Amino acid sequence: MSVLAKLLKRNRLCVTVAVFIAIIANLSQMIYIVHIGELVNRIENREKVTSSLVIILACFLISNVLTVYLKHYSGRYAAEKMAHSLRMGFIEQLLCKQRKKAVPGSADDAGSVMSKVQNELSRADEYLSTTFFDITDMLLTCVLVFVFLIFRNTLLTLVIFVPTVLILFYVKWSSRKLSGIVSSALKEKEKMNRVSYSLVHAFPAVKIYNADEMCISTYKNSLENWGKHEADMEKLNALYNSLSGFLSRVPMLLLITIGGFMVIKGNIMLGTLIVFLNMQSSLTNSIMNLPSWISGFKVFTTNLDKLKI
Amino acid sequence: MIDLKNVTFSYDNKMIINNLSLNIKKGDKIGIMGESGSGKSTLLKLLAGLYRAESGTVTVDGETEPEAISRKVSVVMQSPMLLPLSIYDNITMGHKYPDSQVERVVKMARLSNWIETLPDGLNTYLGDRADELSGGQAQRIAIARAMCKDSEVLLLDEPASALDSENSKSVLEAIMDYAADKTVVHVTHQAQHLEGYTRIYSLRDGELI
Repeated sequence: MSVLAKLLKRNRLCVTVAVFIAIIANLSQMIYIVHIGELVNRIENREKVTSSLVIILACFLISNVLTVYLKHYSGRYAAEKMAHSLRMGFIEQLLCKQRKKAVPGSADDAGSVMSKVQNELSRADEYLSTTFFDITDMLLTCVLVFVFLIFRNTLLTLVIFVPTVLILFYVKWSSRKLSGIVSSALKEKEKMNRVSYSLVHAFPAVKIYNADEMCISTYKNSLENWGKHEADMEKLNALYNSLSGFLSRVPMLLLITIGGFMVIKGNIMLGTLIVFLNMQSSLTNSIMNLPSWISGFKVFTTNLDKLKI
Repeated sequence: MIDLKNVTFSYDNKMIINNLSLNIKKGDKIGIMGESGSGKSTLLKLLAGLYRAESGTVTVDGETEPEAISRKVSVVMQSPMLLPLSIYDNITMGHKYPDSQVERVVKMARLSNWIETLPDGLNTYLGDRADELSGGQAQRIAIARAMCKDSEVLLLDEPASALDSENSKSVLEAIMDYAADKTVVHVTHQAQHLEGYTRIYSLRDGELI
């Protein structure tokens, strides 16, 4: 974590700018959606749609496009700067250490250290360049949307939020169940590969000791076991995935049902429901992707910390 | 028991065995020495029916066809060639032998003490534990396998070359105790492994000297 803090500190200007632009881009999108809701409300109330409202909408649309472009540009730039700092910082540190004490060929020399950590360096570098700012942006979006929606209508926000969190637990539980069967299927596959490899390796012994039948039945058994485990895994995978596919639609269904009733009863305007329908995916997608982000981030920080030489 | 007449074998246009003739009587213990690449292992594989001679004849216990020869001999190679099965299956190779015979060969191959320490004994699965076996243990299983087949002809291709001196001595002793009345052909580059053999040849440029 300290390496990440150092990287952020070393590139604080471009990181701050990138985060600031990401916030602006998100706000601009939210304001645009709110204005769309406003437009729908006016139409629902049979009020006149003024040309100024249309112009404002067009302006927000353009600013939205521009800020999204700037967000991607500044995010990629900051990520690349950080990745560059990481590479340069690592080499700098390595060379300083080398000058001070390492003896060529010893465990401390540059070649040995590089060969030990080159995988970590390339993985951390790749994560910074490709994933880091996308995740930062999604997290920012999630927080901003949640805060915005909860102030707009607490009940509808909870209608999206609570089922999403429950689905998250379901996904976590089902992936844990699946990982057990996946690992046993992999073990069976490994066993089968080992059998086929050893049959090739021990072919002279198989021939001399006339063990063809035993080998064929061993291979068949291992193939059948692997096939059975693969089929079980696929069955379970299909069951859990189709269920989670259905469950992922639940927040939207609940939102339409409860929000629809609220609109019919006159508790909220149609425009408000449209705002929620537009924004719910930003919230649910972010929450559902949270476990994979966290595991990816953990791998990233572990790789980074291994680069402390 | 074993008769080679003008046997020639080449590989990749390189002559490995050149017009070689050899007669081995029942009960003989023949040692064949030679440097790495001299063709010792090839000669043993010809005797085991794993290769077919280009010219000349190889006769083992009255058989001349490689397939039939393979059925007449037991071989212990440098590598134990274990399969990912139980110790029992690696010894019997899927054939039905009386339990007393399996127990006897386990004892003769000096495996009993180790097997007694295993929770599943002879049924211990080697697939996941093959890497945990010592070279000596693995080679003793291969020896027990050869003993279990109980052929009249025992062919040895450096069975102790990958072992330390203590293990090597113990493995060779186990083989010689068993093979007292068998016909043995042992190829090696270590002269000390051939003590007490009837005849010792040297293989050079594909010819026996």
